[in-house]
Amino acid sequence: MIQLTNVSKSYGADQGVVALKNINLQISTAERVAVMGPSGSGKSTLLNLVCGLDEPTSGSVKIDGVEMAGLNDDQRTRLRREKIGMIFQTFNLLSTLTAIENVALPLRLQGKSKKDAESEAASMLSRVGLKGRASHRPDELSGGERQRVAIARALIFRPPLLLGDEPTGNLDSHTGDEILTLLDTMQQEYGSTLLIVTHNLQTTNFCTRMVTLHDGEIVGDQPCGSGPVRAKG
Amino acid sequence: MISALLHVSLRQWRTHRLRVAMTTLGIALGVGVFFAIRTANAALLESLSLTVERLAGKSTLEVSAGEAGFPEQMLDTVRATPGVQLAEPVIQVIAHTAFQDEGNLLILGVDTTGDQQLRAYEFDRSQTQIADPLTYLAQPNSILLSRAFAERHGLKIGDHFPIFTSHGKMDFAVEGIFKPTGVGEVFGGNIAVMDIYSAQVVFDRGHNFDRIDLMNAPNVSVDQVQNSLRARLPAGVDVVRPEVKGQSLENAVTAMRLGMMISSFIALLVGVYIIFNSFTIAVNQRWKEIGILRAVGVESRGIGFMILGEALLMGIIGSVVGIVVGYFMAVAASSVMGSIAASVYGIVSTAVAPSIHPEYVVTALLLGIAASVGGAWMPARAASRLNPILALHNIESRQNESALGWTRGLLAAALLAACVLLIQFSPSAVGMELQFSYAALELIGLTILLPLLVRGAARALRPLMDWAGGSEGALAVDAMIQSPRRSAATVGALMVGLMFVYSTAAYIQSYKLVVSRWTSQMLNSDIVVAASSLLRSTSYHFSEDLGQRIAAMPQVARIENVRFTIVPFNGDTAAITSEDMDGFLARSSNAVIGGNKNTVLNLMPRGQGVLVSRNLAARWRLKVGGSVHFDSPTGPLDLPILGMLDDYRSDKGTIFMDRSVYKRYWRDDAVDFVDVTLKPGQNAPAVKHQIEQMTASSDHALVYTNVEFRGWIGGLVDKFFLLNYMQLVVAIVVAVVGIANTLVISVAERHREFGVIRAIGGYRSQIRKMVLLEAFAIAVVGVIVGAIAALFNIQFMSVTVSTVLAGYNVPFYFPWLLILETFPAVVLVALVAGWFPARHAMQAPVIEAIGYE
Repeated sequence: MIQLTNVSKSYGADQGVVALKNINLQISTAERVAVMGPSGSGKSTLLNLVCGLDEPTSGSVKIDGVEMAGLNDDQRTRLRREKIGMIFQTFNLLSTLTAIENVALPLRLQGKSKKDAESEAASMLSRVGLKGRASHRPDELSGGERQRVAIARALIFRPPLLLGDEPTGNLDSHTGDEILTLLDTMQQEYGSTLLIVTHNLQTTNFCTRMVTLHDGEIVGDQPCGSGPVRAKG
Repeated sequence: MISALLHVSLRQWRTHRLRVAMTTLGIALGVGVFFAIRTANAALLESLSLTVERLAGKSTLEVSAGEAGFPEQMLDTVRATPGVQLAEPVIQVIAHTAFQDEGNLLILGVDTTGDQQLRAYEFDRSQTQIADPLTYLAQPNSILLSRAFAERHGLKIGDHFPIFTSHGKMDFAVEGIFKPTGVGEVFGGNIAVMDIYSAQVVFDRGHNFDRIDLMNAPNVSVDQVQNSLRARLPAGVDVVRPEVKGQSLENAVTAMRLGMMISSFIALLVGVYIIFNSFTIAVNQRWKEIGILRAVGVESRGIGFMILGEALLMGIIGSVVGIVVGYFMAVAASSVMGSIAASVYGIVSTAVAPSIHPEYVVTALLLGIAASVGGAWMPARAASRLNPILALHNIESRQNESALGWTRGLLAAALLAACVLLIQFSPSAVGMELQFSYAALELIGLTILLPLLVRGAARALRPLMDWAGGSEGALAVDAMIQSPRRSAATVGALMVGLMFVYSTAAYIQSYKLVVSRWTSQMLNSDIVVAASSLLRSTSYHFSEDLGQRIAAMPQVARIENVRFTIVPFNGDTAAITSEDMDGFLARSSNAVIGGNKNTVLNLMPRGQGVLVSRNLAARWRLKVGGSVHFDSPTGPLDLPILGMLDDYRSDKGTIFMDRSVYKRYWRDDAVDFVDVTLKPGQNAPAVKHQIEQMTASSDHALVYTNVEFRGWIGGLVDKFFLLNYMQLVVAIVVAVVGIANTLVISVAERHREFGVIRAIGGYRSQIRKMVLLEAFAIAVVGVIVGAIAALFNIQFMSVTVSTVLAGYNVPFYFPWLLILETFPAVVLVALVAGWFPARHAMQAPVIEAIGYE
């Protein structure tokens, strides 16, 4: 599903800041991979390259067999729209839209009517346990509920690849566990490939593979916990 | 702490340069227009007083009795009054020369022997050996010219040039040329001097003078002389200081000046909306920063001060820029105002370059700062009340939409209802300031109601946006529905601009409709011969001889000589229309309102009563059956009011009387219009042509058929409203800046939102489309809300403004057609204003926007 070959990424006018160095990484369909590493290790840069928001300085990034370097901005956007769901640490919900409108947004951007999009979004909200919160705006939801909305939005178009940027980073441990449980359930149901960037060891237990980055290089790539951490209580 | 917060603020400014620039521009524009209008107004007044001063020379008092003048015997009375050292008669005429390119020449008729003691004439000796050219004026058809006029037309001493007099076109010999100083500066240098007795003859003044300029003796005070003269002269004769005369000229242009002041306040008000919007968004953008500042020990009060401090600084910078720009705007505005004062009000002025008045600079600066701080007040309060924990988490939140509460809705409704009732029922005696404050009630009510209006209008628009604009259209309008406060300030700026455009246009349209009805009822003779291209000729008139010549034409059934003049009335002034009433009533008796028609038809032609215009009746609380009193130059005159009419020639009101009465009491047989009724079956254009041929070589006569005359009246109305059209342009420009500003700000505020949309699969083109559709939605909602606001403002204009400025109400007229016609232009303007922000939005980097560290 994801194939990174000799990927390097540098920033700055003279390319002096090296974020990633010669990364080679292959992630198979339906795999659950956690990317660990300290701040500044290149985790977020990796995620940006995979979702096509950024381009590598050198090397190749392929998603589902498609070479990202050969795509223009619109084509990368289309790829993201059709194949990649994203979950953010800060949820990144639109504050002016209700939960159901946030979830329906990707479908509406694809041109679906409001009625159809919201019908699917209602079903998805129900799946993530927020049936009764559809008309609430983000500020009326708890942190966990917001992240559920974000997961529902990421999965609304059944993407084959799900990317998470510290999805439990802004949540307490109990809520974090609930979110991981939900992700587990949904990932199993949709068969999506999951790539999560995290600091949280608990999250790695939910994945099957852990890639460790340090100073832009992969310093570890090993199997880890076999499944989700069930919510306590 | 202050310097630390200032440092934070300045860094913010550096980061958001465009927002800061656009906000400052909003303030600068508002202050600029305000300063320009104040300065141009002052320039006009300086020009008027300079004119009065130059024309008055050393005189300390002026004796006058309205436009018709007074009998020359009064000069002896004045000269014989104790304390009068010198008294010189004057006739002042704006005459038409026969030059193609320049029509008007201000001619002063003076007594050549004594006038030099009053007025300074500096003669150019280079062209003549005559020691004192004034003494040569006593010769008929001699004239002295200013160097400016002589040079413009290549005239030298001894040359002859033609002037239209009341007795036809006559050639005048240039006897001397005076320098462009003193009197020579007046009227742009288009000034000439001739002998007063020659002027009486050629301009058909009979044995009347227009005024007497006098100097008091050194040992007697001006007040004493004034009182002595008032005691000796008839009641209708005015004895005033020249500066008071200047004041009355100022009063004549009050309507124009007030209109301009209103538009400048509108510009400033739009600036306040822009500032409010900008700071609301700035606070939203800086939640996290504010949270951090609170976390590191800045008190909530300090946050409020920081925001207000920024507003203060922006207000100072914007105001300074506005004052500089405003000065250049004033140069252009004063030239237009001077031209309107001359062409519409018939006022002679002298071009004066606008000067910078320190008090206006201070006022504009203070107003700019007050508008800026006032606009930022609510956002500053919101910032100071921000929950630092929420802010630090930088999580999704939205502003409390308390602005949509029922309490506020009810308050707004109460304010608007109060405004409507006050406009409709409050007496004009409460004063202009209080009356204009009704508009403030209206604007406050509408501002409170704005979020509700925005949401309602956006909801109504949503199906259309969804259908026509797809998901981007619905998303654009959804943002307005969900968060109407965010769009409210933008729409507010547009609302004020469009409200002003719609209501001014409605007022003009309504005015034109009543004028059209008036012309069809009262100005309905087949042909009209006019002495001037203005509705009122202040100095050039026909003699009755012209009417006789026209009446002698075989195609003509009847003519009426009409004199339209301004006379002193009840301590103020009023217009008199005097004409042969039997002819007038034969055409226009249907226009008479109230009173007994037979009595009117019977008594009016015999000079035993008057008809008064409704605005005069309203102004002085006159009723049919009551009477009017005049202190005419020949003595008091009381006449019963037999009926009323609608007449729009004078904002002071008009009194209609038979010409015989006017001639007898005012000793004035001049004619301004000859109304011609043709025999049945005659061809008006053909007769018009004949009259033109007949007058071509003799009179400065403008001949119109009825249709042409009504078109000419329409043209005059347009000229009168030229300033309003300028105000419309100002309103439109300010509204455009408002839209552009708020869209730039809106895009900046939605930086993250667009980033998220891009991250979850939105194309760049979709972002652009969304911003442009938002601009479209703002335009549409702005038009809807502007039209609602216009409903209230049209009532305000057609009742209050109309009464204060013009002296009469005009009917309520809602400009549906104009709103529909201008809708595409408003949308186009919004799209153009939104183009740059849309490009900016689509090019914004996604990663930065969605907040990756």
